[in-house]
Amino acid sequence: MEVIQTSLDGLMVGSTYALLGLGFALVFGIMRRINLAFGACLLFGASLAIYLEPLLGWGAWGLFLVTMAGAALASAYVERLCFAPHSQRRGAVTAMIASFAIWMQLDEISSQLLPQRTHAYQGLEVPTLWLGELSVRGDQLLHFGMALVSIMLLYILLYKTRLGLLIRATADNPESAHLLGARVSWLGFVVFFLAGILGGVAAFMILSADGYATPLFGLWSTFKGLMAMIIGGVGSLLGAVVGGLILGLVETHAGAALGAEFRDMVTFGLVFLVLIIRPGGLMGVKIYRTDNAAQERV
Amino acid sequence: MDLYLASVLTNMTLIAFLALSAYLVLVVGEVSFGQQAFFCIGAYLTASVTALAGAHIVWGLLAGMLAGAVCALLLGFLTIRLSGLYFAISTLCFAELLRFSLLHIRFTQLIDGREIGPDGPEGFSNIRWIFEHNYAVTDFLLLAATCLLILLVLLFGLQRSHLMLAARMVGNDPVLAQSQGFNPHRYRLVFIALSGAVAGFGGGLFALFNTHIEPAMFGVMLGVHGLAYSIIGGLGTPLGPLLGVMLDIGLLESIRQLAAYRMILFGGLVALLLVFRPEGIASPRLVARLRRRWGRRRV
Repeated sequence: MEVIQTSLDGLMVGSTYALLGLGFALVFGIMRRINLAFGACLLFGASLAIYLEPLLGWGAWGLFLVTMAGAALASAYVERLCFAPHSQRRGAVTAMIASFAIWMQLDEISSQLLPQRTHAYQGLEVPTLWLGELSVRGDQLLHFGMALVSIMLLYILLYKTRLGLLIRATADNPESAHLLGARVSWLGFVVFFLAGILGGVAAFMILSADGYATPLFGLWSTFKGLMAMIIGGVGSLLGAVVGGLILGLVETHAGAALGAEFRDMVTFGLVFLVLIIRPGGLMGVKIYRTDNAAQERV
Repeated sequence: MDLYLASVLTNMTLIAFLALSAYLVLVVGEVSFGQQAFFCIGAYLTASVTALAGAHIVWGLLAGMLAGAVCALLLGFLTIRLSGLYFAISTLCFAELLRFSLLHIRFTQLIDGREIGPDGPEGFSNIRWIFEHNYAVTDFLLLAATCLLILLVLLFGLQRSHLMLAARMVGNDPVLAQSQGFNPHRYRLVFIALSGAVAGFGGGLFALFNTHIEPAMFGVMLGVHGLAYSIIGGLGTPLGPLLGVMLDIGLLESIRQLAAYRMILFGGLVALLLVFRPEGIASPRLVARLRRRWGRRRV
């Protein structure tokens, strides 16, 4: 029974990791770039929401909207300043370092907005659900549903609309998509904006479940998103979702079995092993191979 | 010399070792988020050898350097198939694993009435070598700067050597290098090991200077800063990473009045700088052009 309870908790946590992983996987899938400032964008959104909350007084839904909008705006800013100027093939490292610089900047802005170490982050009041001996926190169940809806919406956007077709074409082959008239640079901007929105939803879910926000949230969410993406397979969207769920499950089980202090060690060890044994992750093997093949084709 | 100035300069010198180790990995075309791991290993080993075993710092620093190189070589072997993002994340995981393991390593001994040795999250305190040998801050600065100078001279000596040119070729295009008969894996391993040695040595000096080290000091932020200095400074010459360090710490210290806003300013400045000089200030292209012009004048 306890195992099932732990697994349930793990799935709930994992759904937020899946969204964070999707934020990275979207950007990496389309642009082959890593946005180190992703977590900082979320932190910025959350800080802005907490800062504006007393002025607006919209409660939890206000926090949700402002967090999402702030994260999306910050993400768009990062794209314009760090990724648009370095779109050539060789610019990957430079773009990553530029995004690191903006990470520092956004961190500092957030700590200006929130001078204390912890700030209350209001959650939604939903009663806990009991199924026999198993319990699920109501707000976490709601968040799980929100994550599912976000993923569904993203799926519809990517696979059922013209914009999604353009995005997937660019992910497949930017050069030929450009030749066929896709505005690759604009699509990059759109993708960053989307990643920011997804991240904002995830940030709201995580922070309201915890009930507070700290300045360390940026680093934390960057790590979790990267790890979810790596476990699932770099660049694969489905992989990021599965990777996030696996990360959540492994983390809660490791925490229950070995104690909180070994939890992070287990997850880092897992990612390290995945990279060494199967660098493509669970579902990114094809992308890993084609990338390697592209490198070897002189 | 002013005590404050001396300690800022010493810090810059110590971080320069880390930046140079990131530079050595970048030369072979890889990005490492894990150089702080070797810095950390060097620091702990030097501390153990000097404070626990009571040996001279020369042995301590050599042990730190060697341990850094060996661990880097091990990591290099484990990650031999990986490149790009995959390599970067695996180094990050390695460094974090090491840091989390250090939280559980406890080995303290009572020496002269003091608890000395690694003590989990409390870290390693009482590395008293510089007190016991009456080293002032300025003396230590001199020692560290001399070591850095020797390292720079060595790197400049390597600059036009067969080894360095081949490594740069591997970094630019591994496939092309392979078709010319250079084994990319071999050059990668050599340079990763060298970077480990440089970081380990710097870490040893860091431990001696700070007299107290703890796992929290060697987080991922430290490594990414070292990496960023190399990229900002440029990969054209070993002076590039130094330029990055000076720009960051020097500029930050000079605008201390704006302390609260300095990262907002500085982060934006770095991103803008990279827009205009994507290969850093002393980019390989700039260095080559300067060398050509300088060479012509001398002829």
